[in-house]
Amino acid sequence: MRRGIVATAVAASLALAATACGASSDDSSDGPVTITWWDTSNATNEAPTYKALVKDFEKANPDIKVKYVNVPFDQAQNKFDTAAGASGAPDVLRAEVGWTPAFAQKGYLAPLDDTEALEEKDAFQPNLIKQAEFDGKTYGAPFVTDTLALVYNKALFEKAGIAEAPATWDDLKKDAATIKSKTGVDGYWGSTSGYYATPFLYGEGTNMVDAEGKKITITSPEAKKGLTTWQGLFDGAGLHKADTTADAYAHIQDAFVNGKVAAIIQGPWEITNFYKGSAFQDKTNLGIATVPAGSSGKAGAPTGGHNLSIYAGSDEAHQEASATFVKFMTSADTQSQIALKNSTLPTRDDAYTDEVKADPGIAGFQTVLPAAQPRPELPEYSSLWGPMDQELPKIASGAETLDKGLTTLDTAFADLLPDFSK
Amino acid sequence: MTLTAPAPAAETPRSRRRAPRPVQRVRDTYRRYWYAYAMVAPVVIVLGVLVGYPLLRGFYLTLTDANSLNSARTIGVNTIDATYKFIGLDNYAEILWGPAAYDRFWSHFVWTIVWTVTCVVLHYAIGLGLALLLNQRLRGRVAYRLLLILPWAVPTFVTVFAWRIMLADAGVINSMLNTIGLVEPQWLEDPTWQRTAAIMVNTWCGVPFMMLSLLGGLQSIDENLYEAAEIDGANAWQRFRHVTLPGLSSVSSTVVLLGVIWTFNQFAIIFLLFGNTAPDAQILVTWAYRLGFGQQPRDFAMSAAYGVLLLAILIVFTSFYYRWLKRNDQLA
Amino acid sequence: MTSSPSTHAPRRQRRRGDLGPVERAGTHVTLAVASLIALFPIVWLVYLSLGPDKDDYLHPGGIFAKATLENYSFVLTNTEFFNWLWSTLVVAGGTTVFGVMSAATTGYAVSRMRFPGHRPLMWVLLLTQAFPIAVLIVPMYEIFSQLHLVDNRFGLILVNCTTIVPYCSWLLKGYFDTIPVELDEAGMIDGLTPFGTFWRLILPLARPGLAVAAFYAFITAFAEVAFASTFLLDDSKYTFAVGLQSFISEHDAQWNLMAATAVLIAIPVTVFFYLVQRHVVTGLTAGGVKG
Repeated sequence: MRRGIVATAVAASLALAATACGASSDDSSDGPVTITWWDTSNATNEAPTYKALVKDFEKANPDIKVKYVNVPFDQAQNKFDTAAGASGAPDVLRAEVGWTPAFAQKGYLAPLDDTEALEEKDAFQPNLIKQAEFDGKTYGAPFVTDTLALVYNKALFEKAGIAEAPATWDDLKKDAATIKSKTGVDGYWGSTSGYYATPFLYGEGTNMVDAEGKKITITSPEAKKGLTTWQGLFDGAGLHKADTTADAYAHIQDAFVNGKVAAIIQGPWEITNFYKGSAFQDKTNLGIATVPAGSSGKAGAPTGGHNLSIYAGSDEAHQEASATFVKFMTSADTQSQIALKNSTLPTRDDAYTDEVKADPGIAGFQTVLPAAQPRPELPEYSSLWGPMDQELPKIASGAETLDKGLTTLDTAFADLLPDFSK
Repeated sequence: MTLTAPAPAAETPRSRRRAPRPVQRVRDTYRRYWYAYAMVAPVVIVLGVLVGYPLLRGFYLTLTDANSLNSARTIGVNTIDATYKFIGLDNYAEILWGPAAYDRFWSHFVWTIVWTVTCVVLHYAIGLGLALLLNQRLRGRVAYRLLLILPWAVPTFVTVFAWRIMLADAGVINSMLNTIGLVEPQWLEDPTWQRTAAIMVNTWCGVPFMMLSLLGGLQSIDENLYEAAEIDGANAWQRFRHVTLPGLSSVSSTVVLLGVIWTFNQFAIIFLLFGNTAPDAQILVTWAYRLGFGQQPRDFAMSAAYGVLLLAILIVFTSFYYRWLKRNDQLA
Repeated sequence: MTSSPSTHAPRRQRRRGDLGPVERAGTHVTLAVASLIALFPIVWLVYLSLGPDKDDYLHPGGIFAKATLENYSFVLTNTEFFNWLWSTLVVAGGTTVFGVMSAATTGYAVSRMRFPGHRPLMWVLLLTQAFPIAVLIVPMYEIFSQLHLVDNRFGLILVNCTTIVPYCSWLLKGYFDTIPVELDEAGMIDGLTPFGTFWRLILPLARPGLAVAAFYAFITAFAEVAFASTFLLDDSKYTFAVGLQSFISEHDAQWNLMAATAVLIAIPVTVFFYLVQRHVVTGLTAGGVKG
């Protein structure tokens, strides 16, 4: 009896192991083609819209099946990197605009110029197409665009007697103190992540690197000035101290939507989340303004967003099906539907229908788009966030001086960009 | 977690020493046959393929400048060949005395040692204390025992997340500390507190194993020894010092070795507790992983070099530990 | 473990006689506090899993009023939970079978036979268990990329075997050491080959040892984090250790769903652990740690 049980267990486990070995690859040449799409959007708010659109696409194209996979945004770049050079890569990837040139450089992405995917290339905003280019070829179809803005709680600002959103970082600092004294809640809570620090650099007319001049500019006097301003926003009346935990993003978000902090820097992808919070039950309470300007008087924020890219390693049938899918997902009609449901910004002018423009969140972010700065054409650019995200929290929390942090960044950047001068 | 593994090591010399004649005869018979090789062949082949080859390959990588940009990659139908080059021992030189050596290697090295020693001492001390308490005739002993092994029963990757929620800024631990009027540390933010938090969580996870092993050791100590000691007029401390501790020495040497190896190699707790943050709280293992897989571009050569150094540290430690044990054995 | 032979009882009682009421109370208080510390994180996780909103963990007081099982039904119906379960079983089961089977013969051989290379083999087996993951993960990735074993459960089984096989060999060697060698001799007198002796006589007797080895192999593979997180890419192939992390992405951490999934994973594992723990501890003391 006992032996029987053991034998059964062994047999069952063997069967398991056998299934594990005989993995996948049952795509035969005829019949529907199944393509895999890695979506990196917010799983709760945005993904349902995309899933519904995938259904529509499958209905319209019965010979193509789409396997939808939601990969958390902050893990996707790494996962695709693991997969693309080995096995398990998806056919279509929703890639952050910064990833596109880096993946293209490694040979992971297929050029889309003469494919169905970019048939309507001219309809997209030209600077977004430019951001998807590498070495003269286009490796992504612009899918969503975004930039950072100062989002604020109008009611709290009014209560403190402030009529307008701050135009400069110094104004923001003063306003924060006023808000703290009048309402008791913090005026501003800054993020310590590298991406959110770029407006301070743009505000001084500089960036982490000068791609055209092949120069690392993170230790330039301008950059230092901008980051000194940035550092000054973690300490003072009405300014929340730096949160350097892995969950900082969620903490800031939670405080803002519940009216515990009056202003933060954030992008349009969080609009739907704002509206879910207790402070923005009345949608008109959400103020959206251009990020404050630095001492140069200029305000600037990074251009973000996502492209749909196609994996270079797929066979022809999959690439063709993927191109059809990309074309569908980036069409004007699809993009307006996405905008209406997710409040994210479309990448082509013909998708901004009257109905889309009526959405207060989209309308708000549309007004700040002119301040969006294009990214330098540099495949390594997205690698710079790694050292930034490592050093900036140390500086913000006071564990390290600004000078020391910038020197470390300088060295780290030089490692990543060996042919750049300091 | 693997568990009893090297435990039998303690037995090897003894069983050999007391080997009776028939055993010798059986062994003599076997020696003449190829059976032994046939029976160890599967494991030797498996380890050769899965450990030996990757180890050599990894060592070779440490002598190059391989990273994710210049390594060979197979992109579906297209293959790109590797373009990294041989650079000798430069990677090791850079790790050990390059310009960033202190920041990157030595600071993590010191912290790894502190982490290992602190955790193992805490594991052992708390585990022994609880084992002594449980080794008494006590109402509810079984219930206590079942509750106390809970942290071992629930998978680590689950409990670490529970701790991460509890340690959050406004989490339940800080709320409790606030209620009783103590400081509210930034567990997940401040480097010192990050380290404290990591040690705390690892201690919580590791105590039950020590407790159970030591309890097993306590229960196998001959009661007569205690009686004899009592007759000799030994007080409780003396009995503990001269009967209990020597009685536990064989269990202790095994579990302490295991504890050191596991803690030194502990990946899940720090990786899951801090995500990609907390560079200061990373021990060498998680730091090496981050170099190879947690950054862009991935620095394969560096990561592998850290791995080789880690292994070297472990080998040196283990052999010293064994030598020390052996000497003590001879003295005893 | 807990039930000592009755002959010991009276003696023991006498020795424990000197435990006064104060000491007794102190013992109870210490053990109760320790038990509470051991229990609390788990209880807290269960409690948080009842809060419907992803940020409820920041305001735990509010959960009482709106406690619901919504998270559980969401996890079971809208996530890949059952695929993860299957994947975990495949990886852990495969590792167990492969690891224990290949280790059993080796354990026997090193327990009974002396052959040139015996000592080095023992050393290698011991050392391999101590390998930090950082030593193998980079070359493994390189090799697996070429063999298309990335994003493949079989690949993960192979990786897990690097620690499980040497570990099981040692554990089983320890167990075989406790089986009287006279049995082998009897077998040989009856004309059995060494294989026959091993298969017919020793292996059936070693069943408890095999069970312990299997249990630890299973648990280790079940809880493996580093390789699984790196090598598994398709969300339907995730093991639980990877799936659970997917709720906690930096920009969209769904702590409520994570907590519910964690509870769903922990319950069966914990129950299983409690059911077998007594045998495990007995096997542990019999096979190795016995003083």
